[in-house]
Amino acid sequence: MKIKQFIQRLFGSKQRKPSSGGTSANPSEKMQKMMAMLSATREEELTCDEVFALLDQFTELAAQGEDVAKLMPLVQHHLDMCDDCREEYKVLKSILYGAA
Amino acid sequence: MDKRTNEEWVADLRAGGDRQTGALEDLRAIILRGLPYAIAGRLDPNSPQSEALTEEVVQETLMRVLEYLDTFEGRSQFTTWAHKIAVRAALTELRRVRWREVPLPEMDVDDDMDASYREAPDEQASPEEQVAQAEMMKRVNRIIMEELTDKQRQALTAIMEGFPLEEAAGRLGTNRNALYKMLHDARLRLKKRLEKEGLTPQEVLSVFEQAGR
Repeated sequence: MKIKQFIQRLFGSKQRKPSSGGTSANPSEKMQKMMAMLSATREEELTCDEVFALLDQFTELAAQGEDVAKLMPLVQHHLDMCDDCREEYKVLKSILYGAA
Repeated sequence: MDKRTNEEWVADLRAGGDRQTGALEDLRAIILRGLPYAIAGRLDPNSPQSEALTEEVVQETLMRVLEYLDTFEGRSQFTTWAHKIAVRAALTELRRVRWREVPLPEMDVDDDMDASYREAPDEQASPEEQVAQAEMMKRVNRIIMEELTDKQRQALTAIMEGFPLEEAAGRLGTNRNALYKMLHDARLRLKKRLEKEGLTPQEVLSVFEQAGR
């Protein structure tokens, strides 16, 4: 693949997506997404495993109405950066709300 | 009985025999009450696939709970900890099914460093704004090509395409945790290089946010 193709794939891709999801952002939106990610990037970040270890505690605090972004800012930051972990957090929170 | 304390859960699950069996049955019922929240919106809850996935996830969760019981530190309710394991197992499988037909973007970069971005970046932008955007894209892309490894570029491409981290990791022969670290390193490299070139992400963003206003 030539660089141009890589660039088009990154910012102007016609990549096949699952029928019920995936991004369809235009190049400008993808650039904005990437710059937003870079802007939020920190020198030290928790990994997915580290966040998984704390996710039950974090989610219970959130479900209790605590200011989790203040109490556990590194976990909150990772959830802002990582779609997979954020999705799992939202489902876990909905279970706790459902059980309440 | 699902009103056990954390200590009672751990003790019963460690006990073996009928005590353990009873605790596993109770935990199974609790996990079954939580799984619809993971499946909702992702799979028809009445489909055979949903039924199969539910059974598979429950079994996997119970095995993992027993395997990792010693790592439970009591910082949450035991049932929340178990739900966390079930949610991870369920979403991992759902992502695999949903993305399995989608090929990961392939990377095979050559030395054609003069390639440039030739599509109009934003149809709503004025001609001047489109030129500015195209120039900025070319500059950012050059930085990406110079700073990142092939694997980092491939991972970044996949994530920008909306690939789940876990799914991209599997295709790239790594795991989710390692891929997050790799992408973190890539983001840091790009951010520092932009700074070195006198650019901040906000300044790059402004070129695209002003378009069409």
